[in-house]
Amino acid sequence: MIQEMKIALPIQKQAYAVFFVIILSLVRGVTYSGEIGIALEAPMAVLALTFCADTYTQEITSRRSEIWRLCPMKKRLHSIYRRIGIQELFLLSVAAAGYGMFFLFQNPGTAKTGAGVLESEISQFLVYVAAIAVTLVFWGLLSNLLSCLFRNMWVGIGGCLLLWLITNSSIGDRYFGAWNLFSYAFRELEDNKDLSWLYGKMVCICMGFIAAAVLPKIIEKRG
Amino acid sequence: MGIKIEDLTVTFKNQVTAINHVNLEIPKGIFGLLGENGAGKTTLMRVLTTVLSPTSGTVTLDGMLYSEGNFEKIRRKIGYLPQEIDLYPGLTVQECLEYMGDLSGIPKETCKKRIGYYLEETSLSNHRRKKMKQLSGGMKRRVGLIQALLHEPEFLIVDEPTTGLDPEERIRIRNLLVDFSEGRTVLFSTHVVEDLTATCNQLAVMKKGEFLYSGNMRELLEQAKGHIWTCRAEDEGAARELEKKYHVSSKQYAEDGLQIKLISETPPQIECSLCEATLEDAYIYITNKEL
Repeated sequence: MIQEMKIALPIQKQAYAVFFVIILSLVRGVTYSGEIGIALEAPMAVLALTFCADTYTQEITSRRSEIWRLCPMKKRLHSIYRRIGIQELFLLSVAAAGYGMFFLFQNPGTAKTGAGVLESEISQFLVYVAAIAVTLVFWGLLSNLLSCLFRNMWVGIGGCLLLWLITNSSIGDRYFGAWNLFSYAFRELEDNKDLSWLYGKMVCICMGFIAAAVLPKIIEKRG
Repeated sequence: MGIKIEDLTVTFKNQVTAINHVNLEIPKGIFGLLGENGAGKTTLMRVLTTVLSPTSGTVTLDGMLYSEGNFEKIRRKIGYLPQEIDLYPGLTVQECLEYMGDLSGIPKETCKKRIGYYLEETSLSNHRRKKMKQLSGGMKRRVGLIQALLHEPEFLIVDEPTTGLDPEERIRIRNLLVDFSEGRTVLFSTHVVEDLTATCNQLAVMKKGEFLYSGNMRELLEQAKGHIWTCRAEDEGAARELEKKYHVSSKQYAEDGLQIKLISETPPQIECSLCEATLEDAYIYITNKEL
């Protein structure tokens, strides 16, 4: 596990992820705390797709894949999934810390005042963590899958960015509505009871499962 | 038993034929694979490690045919040191080998014992806490070799294992491979003839995707017998003149000028005498004969 942490999370990757969130929390203006999730979801998706693209392709570029090919398939897959898990956990921690940084640097207002404000903010934060976790896992898995399929991390990043551009746009919002991958960011802020954005996250979860299920076949075929 | 290659051909998408209808039997023990750069050695090894599928022909390992259904079983029997490999730069030598051992499915305790043994055998014990990126090229090569040996494969394929090693280390690695080859098959690919002279009796010589020779060392030397000549040249200029006319296999400075070894089917038109052929001479002789 320690080895995989060192392989999947080298210091330069940790540094760019942390700086990314620090800079984002400094430059992306928010007025109310409810806007923090919106400000973070799409950029964190970009961070996840770049972060996870080399999960396996680093084995190809450093020519270790020829040795990997000789190892039992089960072991290879465990190692890849462990690396993805480590990266996703790290990104989730960064995303959670980023939420706090917005509070620290911008001191946004709260939707409620007086009694119950703390509970409301905590529940808002927990919903954000759940939504961002789904987003991070989905984009990380997809990026790794495309990179493995084409044996090139840039194709993985490029392919994901294309999907990101389509779904993170007014066209994507209009076309996919509540089923959009970024439904959490496009949700109606004023209407707390509207949970239709969960459909979009369900789409992410389903596609994530498919990506995780297809990965072994790709690793077996493409090596 | 061992490896049997029958009518093997590898043609790439750009229509370049890297291996052209070759047949070879690799028995137990160390088997040398000798050839110039681009001869097809690495392509052959990539086929043997199942990385590359041949265009036609068959390969069997201990009677087991190389096919999709058998790949998982075959791969477990193989250890491989590629020509170029960049092992995890952020890990220490110990961590790197433990990780590779875990990937190969070796139980932790056994793996640790083997790592300790091979680190000792390759003089790397004192470097086990160093990060891979801090190692010299020769040290990295030795770690690469250890990872190939860790799961004690029945068939070990090593591509230029002695690259970057100093003479003393070269000898140690050769001895390690000789010991390891007992009861196993080791395919030792190199263009350093001296490595093969010191380790194996069976070898094959490759050129342009074909085998010019395969068999034992003695018979190869036999073929070159009577075609290796030694003569003297006064100075470098005279030596250069000889190089234009004949294949020169070696040139050594001596007290009275330069001692030169020539390869020629017929006696050269200069003062010279026949001499005993070394593997290097035989290799140059055979690779310069018409295909």
